[in-house]
Amino acid sequence: MNGDFKGKKVTMFGPFADADEVKFNESIKAFEEKTGIDIAYEGSKEFEATIAVRVNGGNAPDIADFPQPGLLKGFVKDGKVVDVKSFLSDEYLNKQYAQSWLDMGTMAGPNGDIMAGVWARSSVKSLVWYNKKAFEEAGYTIPKTWDELKKLSDQIAADGDPAWSIGIESGTATGWVATDWMEDIMLRTTTPENYDKWVNGELKFTDPIVKNAAEKMSEIWFNEDYVYGGRKSIATTSFGDAVKPVYENPPKAWLHRQAGFITSFFPEGLTPEDFDWFPLPAIDEQYGTPALISGDIYAMFNDRPEVRAVMEFFTTADSLKTWIQSGGVTAPMNGADPSWYANEAERKMADFLGTATTIRFDGSDLMPGSVGAGTFWKGMTDYVSGAADLDTALSEIQAGWK
Amino acid sequence: MKRKGVRKSKWLVNTVLAIICVIWAVPTFGLLVSSFRPAADILSTGWWNIFPHKEWTTVAQIELPRDTDLRGPISVEGMTYSDVQLREGVERDGQLLVWENRRQRLINVQEKEWAWISSFTTQNYETVLGGKQYKITMPDGSVKTEQGSGMSQSFWNTIAVTIPATVIPIFIASFAAYAFAWLRFPGRRTLFVVIIALLVVPLQVALIPILRDYTSLGLNGTYFGIWLAHTAFGLPLITYFMYTSISQLPKDIFESAFMDGATNFTIFSRLILPLSVPALASISIFQFLWVWNDYLVSLIFLGSQPEVQVMSMKIANLVGSRGNDWQLLTAAAFVSMLMPLTVFFALQRYFVRGMLGGSVKG
Repeated sequence: MNGDFKGKKVTMFGPFADADEVKFNESIKAFEEKTGIDIAYEGSKEFEATIAVRVNGGNAPDIADFPQPGLLKGFVKDGKVVDVKSFLSDEYLNKQYAQSWLDMGTMAGPNGDIMAGVWARSSVKSLVWYNKKAFEEAGYTIPKTWDELKKLSDQIAADGDPAWSIGIESGTATGWVATDWMEDIMLRTTTPENYDKWVNGELKFTDPIVKNAAEKMSEIWFNEDYVYGGRKSIATTSFGDAVKPVYENPPKAWLHRQAGFITSFFPEGLTPEDFDWFPLPAIDEQYGTPALISGDIYAMFNDRPEVRAVMEFFTTADSLKTWIQSGGVTAPMNGADPSWYANEAERKMADFLGTATTIRFDGSDLMPGSVGAGTFWKGMTDYVSGAADLDTALSEIQAGWK
Repeated sequence: MKRKGVRKSKWLVNTVLAIICVIWAVPTFGLLVSSFRPAADILSTGWWNIFPHKEWTTVAQIELPRDTDLRGPISVEGMTYSDVQLREGVERDGQLLVWENRRQRLINVQEKEWAWISSFTTQNYETVLGGKQYKITMPDGSVKTEQGSGMSQSFWNTIAVTIPATVIPIFIASFAAYAFAWLRFPGRRTLFVVIIALLVVPLQVALIPILRDYTSLGLNGTYFGIWLAHTAFGLPLITYFMYTSISQLPKDIFESAFMDGATNFTIFSRLILPLSVPALASISIFQFLWVWNDYLVSLIFLGSQPEVQVMSMKIANLVGSRGNDWQLLTAAAFVSMLMPLTVFFALQRYFVRGMLGGSVKG
């Protein structure tokens, strides 16, 4: 397709701004030069609020980047989205993506299920970050089970430090860190089928299974010896600042569970030898160590040959190459060479994603906005800050499903 | 009796004004101080520490034996304390004992000393004005540093949006106000009531319908489109404002001008406009500030493509996808304030007159 599309323009709209926008533009440069297509990316912090106005106003971008598939579902249902399978064969898609990604991209349209978009980047969430050098010097070992994790926390407490640094403050989105923990623990304490039911609203928040997960979380969060600053500081510490105590010298806290993107909040001057992560350990052996992920699905609103070409390009690992090399993203599609990853920690993430037996998408991003970006955040915050007890908080969250 | 009442109410007004000033000025000053501080410092101490104050400062350290049990009573130089006390800090003859590092069993001995913030940086302003630097690893493995765009492009974009979006509606509204005030034509009252009624319609309800029309007309993302939008949203208020001012002008001068054979246009351009300069200036400030600070209308109709992006959108995107560069907002806020402040001070003498315009019948 060399130069076939000279002078054609494809508009894209999405939430990544600033550094991510620069990395994105860099990653598409070679494609633009080769095909002659100009991909005009527009990033806005208000993507979630604006996309509905644009689509309903008849001004939909050719391609939109959804970090929350739950939001895309609505557009698919209204028949606004072009089915990717109308121009990419099943065979091709199966070659590019693992089945779980394809399943997550299938959504119900007005005339049956369609492939709503292509997965263009992903981020692994089930990671516990630690200060590699200090961790080794102190002689700690990486826990493989929940009990070992608690033993390690005890050991660190006996040595004089809190093990965990936790912060869930994030402006109007305060509480999302707690929902990530809940999802991770749900995956480790119940079957993937129950997790799916929970995400679809069939399994209630007030169910003992969900309550059990919240209690597991409280074992760590509400233990004053485990948490830096104690329980009261969790709700007021910004998620971006919460990682900092881990990388102070000497560390003020030792463990921090957060998605791969947190590296952009690390203090300046850290080298890849300073940090590492281990997966949040298994709680119940039979469910193993599943990977909780998030990702961006690119959906297509206008069907033109050049837009098809761009969509096809996004299914290839080449479309992410420079981004992977610059760090901060994991490839959801097959074919990304492990040597591309900027450091060992990120290579391990890709590896973890490739080998995990169970992969599930961030549940709060799949639930309807009133729950996933509403009562779930708020209910968890109330519970953590002590404004509500667990039962009240859970029924508060469940109320969002109406 | 009356005089006393006047004095009392004056005192009350001044107090209320002073309180309002303090409520606005203190956080603004705090923001200004923060904008000159490194991000790590902002997290650890408040801006008010810029004033000299007494602070616990470490003067010595005590190292306890490594095997000290933290759960039992801890003896420090002859005295015993509990772990909780040492976490919070205990005072002993004017000195404070507090853990520096529990793991190393290290205790800080602190004394109150005068202290104030002394480390400042202009880094935030440099980044905001000059753009950030991004490191990109190229396919061949080399690292390329990309210089992000600074404020200048979006500054000129904002000027290109704001000036026409201020001039056009005021121009139209002045004509309309003259017509409503001094011309007799059928349906005048009804039309005027409709315009007043439009004052209470929130602009948000018009976003999607207008966006649809713009899509079919191809006006999305163009300056012309956003001028029209701001003009339409601003017209009711500006028309009403200009009407109150123009209708207060003495009737006699129009009549004599009319007798001398002046046309409506001559009256408008030679009499009305010069006489309404204070009103024009003050409504210009209003409209200018509104458009300059606008985020919503530009977000919907203009978008954030770099060629047209206005400053408010540029600033919102500065913080990064995950809000990791929040410290830049402090400096960006002051940069974006400069232009409105300049306009305000340049026009302020009219501003006060305009506010009083029409309040006293002469």
